[in-house]
Amino acid sequence: MFGFLKKKSSANTAKDRLTIAIMSDRESTHYPFMDEMKAEIIEVVKKYIGVKSVDIKKEVVDDVEALSIDVQLDK
Amino acid sequence: MGIVIAVISGKGGVGKTTTTANIGLGIAMNDKKAVVVDFDIGQRNLDMILGLENRVVYDIVQVMDGEAKMKQALIKSKVNENLMFLAASQTKDKTVLDSAKIKNLVEELKEEFDFVILDAPAGIESGYEHTIEFADAAIIVVNPEVSSIRDADRAIGILDSKSQKVKDGEDVQKHLIINRVNPAMVESGEMLKCDDILDILNVPLLGKVPEDRAIIEASNQGKPVITDNNSEAGKAYKRIADRLCGKDVKIPEFVAKKGGILGLFKGMFK
Repeated sequence: MFGFLKKKSSANTAKDRLTIAIMSDRESTHYPFMDEMKAEIIEVVKKYIGVKSVDIKKEVVDDVEALSIDVQLDK
Repeated sequence: MGIVIAVISGKGGVGKTTTTANIGLGIAMNDKKAVVVDFDIGQRNLDMILGLENRVVYDIVQVMDGEAKMKQALIKSKVNENLMFLAASQTKDKTVLDSAKIKNLVEELKEEFDFVILDAPAGIESGYEHTIEFADAAIIVVNPEVSSIRDADRAIGILDSKSQKVKDGEDVQKHLIINRVNPAMVESGEMLKCDDILDILNVPLLGKVPEDRAIIEASNQGKPVITDNNSEAGKAYKRIADRLCGKDVKIPEFVAKKGGILGLFKGMFK
């Protein structure tokens, strides 16, 4: 009986989990060109100084969207 | 001038190739000229589903590279002469694809056919991006299952940012097909309802296809299931193709067959 009730709700569980996962995918989604851009930034910075890694994040604050680019230098 | 439709999914194994074959044939049955193109370079499969694997001489890459003429590479369906098929290359990999060449190929096909249907590779890598690049519309195939739906959402996101139509400021039409619906499981709350999937993905529904043993049987024989008038999946594909051809065909609700869950399991494990 308990198993039956549990099963009954699994579609709803799926819906809830999906809604949250997709919301967060859509918000934080890397742009498709992100990897390419990263590689190019590394190339540019490398001309001047050693670079270890580049991290690009999309940040959304209210209506403003911004890209924050972290360049970690290679000492 | 025909319309170019990319059949996409994100996740693999949801029935993209089966959908492509059946829709292509269904459109041909509506007396429209259709061509189905396998864009899964390196993993050709559409030829098997259509039962044309022994007739492939030239493939899409050879046509794009000018090694073969389009006419030489197009293979006529065994079932309906309005349907043609262009095979993927089996030996090369998808890195051979190039935007300019794809554009030429698609333009050439659009001249001759009413419907140009491109079967995209799974995933959201370069092969996928090339398939959607010059599409006027996309058919998104999902299964009522979490990973399929999530991956489809990502594929739609790329469609919305990378297709030429979108870059030109136009809309790329989107249609959703929910494949492998199991009515008994939906009724018992064990499978996502179609309405829930529509809420989440926010793409208009083109059709639903029930889980059906006839699909495997059809692929065993290389005869798309739409030719089987007794199969529920075949009838569903027929309705979908009719809708694409502009006919006003309702989307029926599926009901579980008598015998409920027990009957279903019998069916699955037989």
